[in-house]
Amino acid sequence: MSKKALSKKKTELHRRRFLKSSLSATGAAVMAPMVIPGSALGLDGAVAPSERIVVGGIGIGNRGTYDLGCFLKQPDVQFVAVCDVKKSRRVAVKKIADDKYGNQNCEMYRDFRELLDRSDIDAVLIATGPNWHATAAMTAAKAGKDMYCEKPVTKNISQSLILAETMRRTGRIFQAGTQRRNLPHFAFACELARTGKLGPLQKVFAHPAGMQAMMSGWLPGEPEPNKEVVDWDMYLGPAAWRPFNAKLLDGFNFEKGGGLVGGGVLEWGSHCVDLCQWAVGDCPPPVEYNAPKDGQLVARYENGTELIFRETGWIPLGSCPVRFEGETGWVEAGDSGKLVLSSPALLAGRTVAEIGGYPATFHVRDFLDCVKTRGVPKGNAEAACNAHIACHAANIALSLGRQVNYDCEKHEFINDEQANRLRSEALREPWRI
Amino acid sequence: MPTARPCMRLFVALAALVLLATASVGAAEDQNRSSEAEKQLLALLRSDAPAAEKAIACKKLAIYGSSAAVVDLAKLLPDPQLSSWARIALEVIPGKASGDALREATDSLEGNLLVGTINSIGVRRDARAVTLLAARLQDTDPEVASAAAVALGRIGNTAATNSLRKALAIVPFNVRSAVAEGCVLCAERMHSEGKSALAVEIYDQIRKADLPKQRILEATRGAILARGQAGIPLLVELLRSPDKKLFQLALGTAREFPGDEIDKALAAELDSASPDRAALIVLAMADRPETVVLPAVLIAAAQGPKKVRLVAISTLGRVGDASCLSTLLDAAVDTDSDLSQTASRALADLAGEKVDAQIVALLPTAKSESYPLLIELVGQRRIEAVPALLVALDHSDQTVRSAALIALGETASLDHLPVLISQVVSSKYPDDAPVAQQALRAASIRMPDREACASELAMALERSPVETKSALLEILSDVGGARALQTLSVAAKSNAPELQDTASRLLGKWNNVDAAPILLDLAETAPQPKYQVRALRGYIGLVRKFAMPEPQRDAMCRKAFDTARQTAEQKLVLDVLKIHPSREGLRLAIDAAQIPELKEEASQAVLVIARKLSEKGVDVNELLSRSGLEEVKLEIIKPD
Repeated sequence: MSKKALSKKKTELHRRRFLKSSLSATGAAVMAPMVIPGSALGLDGAVAPSERIVVGGIGIGNRGTYDLGCFLKQPDVQFVAVCDVKKSRRVAVKKIADDKYGNQNCEMYRDFRELLDRSDIDAVLIATGPNWHATAAMTAAKAGKDMYCEKPVTKNISQSLILAETMRRTGRIFQAGTQRRNLPHFAFACELARTGKLGPLQKVFAHPAGMQAMMSGWLPGEPEPNKEVVDWDMYLGPAAWRPFNAKLLDGFNFEKGGGLVGGGVLEWGSHCVDLCQWAVGDCPPPVEYNAPKDGQLVARYENGTELIFRETGWIPLGSCPVRFEGETGWVEAGDSGKLVLSSPALLAGRTVAEIGGYPATFHVRDFLDCVKTRGVPKGNAEAACNAHIACHAANIALSLGRQVNYDCEKHEFINDEQANRLRSEALREPWRI
Repeated sequence: MPTARPCMRLFVALAALVLLATASVGAAEDQNRSSEAEKQLLALLRSDAPAAEKAIACKKLAIYGSSAAVVDLAKLLPDPQLSSWARIALEVIPGKASGDALREATDSLEGNLLVGTINSIGVRRDARAVTLLAARLQDTDPEVASAAAVALGRIGNTAATNSLRKALAIVPFNVRSAVAEGCVLCAERMHSEGKSALAVEIYDQIRKADLPKQRILEATRGAILARGQAGIPLLVELLRSPDKKLFQLALGTAREFPGDEIDKALAAELDSASPDRAALIVLAMADRPETVVLPAVLIAAAQGPKKVRLVAISTLGRVGDASCLSTLLDAAVDTDSDLSQTASRALADLAGEKVDAQIVALLPTAKSESYPLLIELVGQRRIEAVPALLVALDHSDQTVRSAALIALGETASLDHLPVLISQVVSSKYPDDAPVAQQALRAASIRMPDREACASELAMALERSPVETKSALLEILSDVGGARALQTLSVAAKSNAPELQDTASRLLGKWNNVDAAPILLDLAETAPQPKYQVRALRGYIGLVRKFAMPEPQRDAMCRKAFDTARQTAEQKLVLDVLKIHPSREGLRLAIDAAQIPELKEEASQAVLVIARKLSEKGVDVNELLSRSGLEEVKLEIIKPD
């Protein structure tokens, strides 16, 4: 191994270790998540076939290819199959996998149910368009697969709740693609908030940047391609029917949340609101969501802490910035990898550079470790459920243009039939969750 | 990756869609306005409007529709294009009419449309549908039968449960999995309603059936949890099962099992389990921090297979307490580096003030092999134990001294900074200098009062030998602040070439605009031309990188341009102007275009700036017409 490679490995190990114990040496009250010695998981040498996690990919586009790269770097992963409704993607991903292993063994599927039928596959990477995430994840769970599922994970409140229930009931390992939970600087910021280092929390800020479209609607029909090239029916999946239109083939431009809700806030909120949720200890979502005013929407947790969805006053820390304010201090973090703190004392002797940022492979590793240990990954279904509910409820307040109040026990809006009707949306036949 | 675009406008646009029919008003007026909206939407459904419009109308009826909308929505259920749109509304419109319509539709629909309708009945948990759904369990279409089974599971009342349990034994294999899924849903509901005995009965019935493995796993999990504490033997049975999936199920279920008896059961399995499994059981134990049986983990950490020891040691760092210190210290000096390193990390993580106190208490009598380790822990755990560290600085073993220096770097306060400075400036042991510098840097950059810290370092600079001065300047640069800046400025103009070099380099990469006046001054007065150029480039770098008001940037660009003695730096200024376009910047670029050596680059800059300003709606025609440049056509291409 070259010196540079060794150095990189050391840095990654350091950061990974940091994820485990960023504050524990300073007497943090809560326990940091476990990092299992690699040798205990058989990662210190060639991994025997019987110890490998056999993985299949569902809907591997741009983001999925990045995720796949993280999976393929892991010595205990064997990627054996890809499913995509687009032939071009099937072929491209097969080539990546076959090139990696020097064989032609990666099988291609158009219907993900055939991939899920394979008993040799332990886990799946779900990186379809957001329309499919929840339905594919729950179908995979019922087929006995663990899964790493890209975000936004759900289209509405009901799906969020059923997702968490299904993962519990099936005993499957679920990791949402909320990789910032495994990025050291975000983890550090959240831990400062969660462990009281900022004093009692008063406000947590999320900046869910907008999406290009909340609803793609029903565009003029175009000639439908051959199913082998693009399977339009499978692409639509659980979304209400509409004719083929090539513009709808971009997953990010596809309808989310039933069109009326579930769009703008979710795309980035499933990351930055998720971080806020982590900062408040993954407690139930806020109970009060106010109408937007002056470029922000203020939600309030039961204990009075405010979750602020903010558009203006963008923190110059790259995409996905968050800010946590306590009575005695505050911290900001973003995708630039930087941390800004109210006091250097909060760093507890560390430097920001030492805390570090990407790569996102930690999140994939966290998932794979949990597949083996049956532990609880950072982006688990329960945490994802709460964060997504917060986003969906905010979207509903935005849609209705008024305050809504949420009962976290009954999971319904209080005395608000309109809001309650927006908690769920029928799936197109024959899909169900 | 989406583009970061302000979302609130979208929110407003979205709200407008909804408020098309009803403006945002109080609850009292909502009903009337919803009624009006519903009428308009129904009129659309009854018209010859295109399917696309009817689809959106269905979605809006999900909010504004009442029983009055049900008939028109139900007419769409046989329509392959609009059926699911209609169900979006029918699923959420409360009242008997929607349920009646969905049930009635099952009489005439078939295939996927029937499946979808049954799915919606399940979502609505329509108890009146149990009889018809139970009949559908025998449907010749397995998809229909399966949908009916899951819908019955969602309804989950006694009648639904009974029909599913009865069907489990008789339906074909390709439907049985869905029937089992329905049964599990029913059992879950029973358990949550306190009918645990019945739930256990259902789970056990499923476990005995011929079903796909995943259904068996789900039922087994349920059977353990529904039995309460009496479920522990079953869980233990799975822990001993040769079946990997069952063993894994036990690991997951153990983590969610209530009470502390399960912890004892897990601990009891460690001795008999294979090392691979024992390691995983230890991890499951650790995920129950409130009730974990620590003595069992301690034993696993101290002896036995290495794989288990590694996991147990690591686990102690997370769930252990002061009682684990001795075991971990022993492991940390083990000759096996995997064990010792894992133990060292665990010691750093082990929580509790008692642990800190014990570590400090052990320092005076520590054996040679554990002394450096304990000192390292003082640093890693940020324990206040400076006197003990100062003692260690005089130790004859360099390993001990290095550990003490590093620990001081992590723990020393401003009061103790002189100690570290003296270790850098005049150490008794010259070989310690690099570690001392590293420690001083670590201490300096975490000082809350950076000006006071910089003052200490600046004073030390005066009495240091030249070879140490550069190291101190580097640390001052890391500390930052006004005093550090001033000290570097003086050093940059000193008579020592080495200090000129170091200081000008550090100033050139200063991380805020406070360095601008100093850099501009150096650009003209630095002792050597090469440092003047370096300073000017650093100055231009500040203008380029940092946020500042436009007039300030304009003025800085003009100064940099006027100060530059070479075209290379002037071209750098032009680059900045292109990145941060402004009217004044355009003027400067136009002026630059009059200089023959810069004409090409400056003209290009003029075009870029003019285009960017035009996109922002700034009128640049007058400035351009006075530029003397050849007339060009500005084509504005709007971003997507």
